[in-house]
Amino acid sequence: MSCPKSILISAYLDEELPGSDRAALEAHVQGCAQCGAALQDMRSLRAAFANRSRHQAPYGFATRVMAKTAELDKKKAPWFVPLFIRFAEAAVLLIVITVGILAGTVMTNGSAATKTTNIASSLSLDLFDANPPGSLGGAYLAMTEVRNEK
Amino acid sequence: MFFVQTNDDLDLIERFQNGETSAFGEIVLKYQDKIYNLCRHMLGNAHNAEDAAQDVFLKAYQALPKFQPDASLYTWLYRIATNTCIDYKRKPIFESLFGDSGEGERLVHDLASDAPSPEKLYQSKQIDQALQVCLGKLSPKLRAIIVLKEVEELSYEEIAETLDISMGTVKSRIARAREDLQKCMKKYQGTKSGFVRLNREETE
Repeated sequence: MSCPKSILISAYLDEELPGSDRAALEAHVQGCAQCGAALQDMRSLRAAFANRSRHQAPYGFATRVMAKTAELDKKKAPWFVPLFIRFAEAAVLLIVITVGILAGTVMTNGSAATKTTNIASSLSLDLFDANPPGSLGGAYLAMTEVRNEK
Repeated sequence: MFFVQTNDDLDLIERFQNGETSAFGEIVLKYQDKIYNLCRHMLGNAHNAEDAAQDVFLKAYQALPKFQPDASLYTWLYRIATNTCIDYKRKPIFESLFGDSGEGERLVHDLASDAPSPEKLYQSKQIDQALQVCLGKLSPKLRAIIVLKEVEELSYEEIAETLDISMGTVKSRIARAREDLQKCMKKYQGTKSGFVRLNREETE
């Protein structure tokens, strides 16, 4: 076997070569100083990586991330939403006040038609006659007028 | 599909999509360390890593309502994370080496507990710094793929699914990333002044 390319030695180190290729490369590397050195260099590099510390996230990392997600949620709401909420609140307040006034009026004064009639009759000047219509004096005068005509 | 969607994840997704915002908090708590670690290795310093990791979760928060549970949440988050880190505007390299203390971040592997000799510690630190600089010299796509392989220890199939590329591309990119890193590391390894020289080049 001629010297394999570094890609094969690299895959051999990572145990990613199929069985037959692996056996052939293993046999070659044992008898070839150059390929043996190349494999050793890759192992040294792996050892350098293995000596490095594993790092864990700093304290409070998750809290900071969650605070930023909350900021994102705030920004996500369209600009008109707060304005819309204010208008909706004002409209509801107005409706409640109007309904309250109407309900109060109906309950104390009866129907609107009766109220109109009462107002018209209270404004009539007939009230100030010497014998207002419907009174006992008025009835007497009406009877005497009928008698005189006869 | 190579990442299996867990019942826990399905439940969290469903709850979130039904309007329960707190379910997203549980997703963040579950995946924050994995995503942060990926960003930390991709970007080289704690400040940028936190910034990018936050971006990852905010993008996920906005996209999750339309997320289809037939894809794995884990793969999906990794894809967002690698893309975010690839597109991230990096700070100058000297900041990632000297201007960042990593204040607040937690390390899983405590070197002091292994009690290495000062020489070994020094050597290990030098190699680590050289690796970080060399990672920074890789193109973002090669950096992403080597981090997924060597740091996150994903298989080729998992990487292909995460990055949405073919297996052949995964294989060739990993080999190329290794070659480039080895060349860069060899250039400075074994010389005491090597690392100083490297930083001088970076600032020029």
